Amino acid sequence: MHDINEERDELIGRIVSELRTLPTVPADATARVLARVDAARESERPGRFSRRLIISLPAAIGYALAATLAGFLIRGAVPRRPEATVAEVPIPPVAGTLGAGTKIVPATANRRALQEAPVTVQFVLDAPRAKSVMVVGDFNAWDGSRTPLERDSTTGVWSALVDVHPGRHVYAFLVDGKTWMLDPRAPRTKDLDYGTQQSVLMVGLP
Amino acid sequence: MRTDRIVRCLRCVSAIAVLMTARAASGQASKGLDSATAAAIAPIVEQARDEKLPVAPLYAKAREGQVQRVPVVKIEAAVRTLADRMRAANEALAPDASEQELHAAADAIKSGVPAETLRAMRKAGGDGSLAVPIGVLTQLIARGVPVERASMEVVALLQKGAVARNFIALEESVRQDVLAGRRPDESLDLRLKGIIPNLPQAANADATGLSASSPKRPR
Repeated sequence: MHDINEERDELIGRIVSELRTLPTVPADATARVLARVDAARESERPGRFSRRLIISLPAAIGYALAATLAGFLIRGAVPRRPEATVAEVPIPPVAGTLGAGTKIVPATANRRALQEAPVTVQFVLDAPRAKSVMVVGDFNAWDGSRTPLERDSTTGVWSALVDVHPGRHVYAFLVDGKTWMLDPRAPRTKDLDYGTQQSVLMVGLP
Repeated sequence: MRTDRIVRCLRCVSAIAVLMTARAASGQASKGLDSATAAAIAPIVEQARDEKLPVAPLYAKAREGQVQRVPVVKIEAAVRTLADRMRAANEALAPDASEQELHAAADAIKSGVPAETLRAMRKAGGDGSLAVPIGVLTQLIARGVPVERASMEVVALLQKGAVARNFIALEESVRQDVLAGRRPDESLDLRLKGIIPNLPQAANADATGLSASSPKRPR
């Protein structure tokens, strides 16, 4: 029994030894196999242009900037889809002004942006002898040229519709390009920066 | 090699486009300013831009002074002060104050509202816009309600779920009361009694004692 086991172990040892020994391969056969592998890898490559894109970060940034620029350039040429709306919101009257019109609120806006969507406000001034009236305030960056009022020829009342964001705003009328005039319909406050009186407009949500 | 050249070229074009866009935006914002005023406020604007603050309100403040024929030195001081207020407002309403909120908060700070109040308002107001509540707070103070009292009540209203229309209604009511001869703080007491019971979280807020002047809800 012992002898049989010893013979079997010896036989297994010889088999393992044989299997561990690699067969000799001709040198030209190895070269041929490597050449085939190289050829196969080359055929799987997606091309020089895209390989550079994958490995070059600066190039990728360059393409991204170029795409952005192209977007800016063609934006005006591509017809834009009309924005979806949630509602036509009626505009309530506001202190010191008369409410008017409706405002379309973009449906894509988030909650805060929706709450800050501008509301159309009407500014009115009785100034029948004025030649020009502009409203200047923080809502139009104090640029009167943006918001000239129009005169009603029959009543002599000047008025303009202006989109104003909800919140507290200060403003005044500029009559004939030089006379600072407060809104008689609105509350007043003193500006602490320049020391002048200004009219106050509180705008709520639509 | 050719791809390198194309990428370099596109990068240059993009950089030029970005610079032109920034210059155009800056030019639009500074439109109407005389050269002396524009030069005086330029360093302040640049610093604000570096800090990612909106610069349009700074130009607007300068234009406001110019429209009123204020001397350049005074305009520069006002713009500098506004930049400081916007910086403080931005910190108080961090991390994502909107431009409208910054505008309102800078005005509130000008009226004496402490930054802690603005932080408390942001915490109480959640993700809603604070432009109207802060504006109403500023206006209540302008009407003569003491800063501490107005701040406390506005924060309490936000905690109870008050929305913009509640604040606008409160301000309008106080305005009418003051015009009728009532004291501003008396009017605030009176009008809060009409608003608070109808707020969604009034019961919860009362239970936690968040507001000093919350009237007891009728049982």
